[in-house]
Amino acid sequence: MLTRLWWTFLKIGWLGFGGGYAMLSLLLNEMRQLGLSMAQYADLNALDLLIPGPIAINSATYLGQITAGFPGALVATLAVCVPSMVLVPLFMRREALIRRNPYLAQMLTAVKKVSVGLIFAVAFSLLLSTTMGIDDLSQWRQFHIEPLNLLIMAAALWLNARYKINPIWLTLGAGVVGWLSFYW
Amino acid sequence: MSKNWLLFKTYLLAGSLTFSGGMAMLPLVERELCMKHAVISRATLLEYSTLAQTFPGVIALTNACFVGRKINGRRGMLAAGLGAVLPAYVLMSAATILYQVLPNSGPVMTALAGIRATSASFLFVAAFDLARHNLTDRYSWLLAIAAFSLTITNLVGAPLLILGALACGLLQAGRQQQEAK
Repeated sequence: MLTRLWWTFLKIGWLGFGGGYAMLSLLLNEMRQLGLSMAQYADLNALDLLIPGPIAINSATYLGQITAGFPGALVATLAVCVPSMVLVPLFMRREALIRRNPYLAQMLTAVKKVSVGLIFAVAFSLLLSTTMGIDDLSQWRQFHIEPLNLLIMAAALWLNARYKINPIWLTLGAGVVGWLSFYW
Repeated sequence: MSKNWLLFKTYLLAGSLTFSGGMAMLPLVERELCMKHAVISRATLLEYSTLAQTFPGVIALTNACFVGRKINGRRGMLAAGLGAVLPAYVLMSAATILYQVLPNSGPVMTALAGIRATSASFLFVAAFDLARHNLTDRYSWLLAIAAFSLTITNLVGAPLLILGALACGLLQAGRQQQEAK
């Protein structure tokens, strides 16, 4: 498991252009292959918001911890740090060469565009699993709306987009609403 | 105060006080390193921050490595990098352990269900924001929509799509180079 975590997060690190949000899509892909659930992925997103620090580090620590305990968290976190540790010294030595390279700039622009689609796909998958009870489109037969969750999701979207209310408060608020709904 | 300690302390503080990572830590780093201790110029810091965003990997860590390396060589890089990673690693380990011992029943379960429901909301907001900034012509919409439909139908995985995008960019740059000649 530790070797698998190491290679997984090395891959996520090297392919993770544009930081945390792009990595979330790669991460969902890997979590599915490791047999983890959509609920565990949604919890990761909530913890990312509640715990300070870069999303990529938070995610690596979380995934390492739930699959292989302390050693897993350490290995996954170290692996995701490798690209920065390798690329920065390399860049410092070959600065002029890399900076003027037109190929690199174009590649990055293209990745950014694809990332937008990937993040929409992640958001869509989370929407399906948290408010419609299915993990992907192939399970469409089990489709059913969960009204309270759908309401929470729409309210958080609206409050965050329209009034710029901090996601941390909205997440905690959703927890309170969920808690109360048990007694209702 | 040694430079390594200053770098470590600054990034440790920045890492523990900024949420959902990335460049939110920049103002704090700027105040400590540029204004209080004047070990790096503001222009250099900003330049490295922009540059860090073009690299694969953890942006905040890449930024810390650049600044650390610039100020105090290899040791500075390690000190700043460790400071940037440590708070997230320690706090997230603790949070994950707490999360694992939560009972999966009763009001805790419904509270978690409520929290999970919000995770899609913030990703949609982030995605819309990124779309507004990055999808500026028909070609880029095409790339984004293709990536979206291929992943939600489980036809192509995210790693392959990113590699594909890198190839697309490479081809496009190659064509532009030829046209320029």
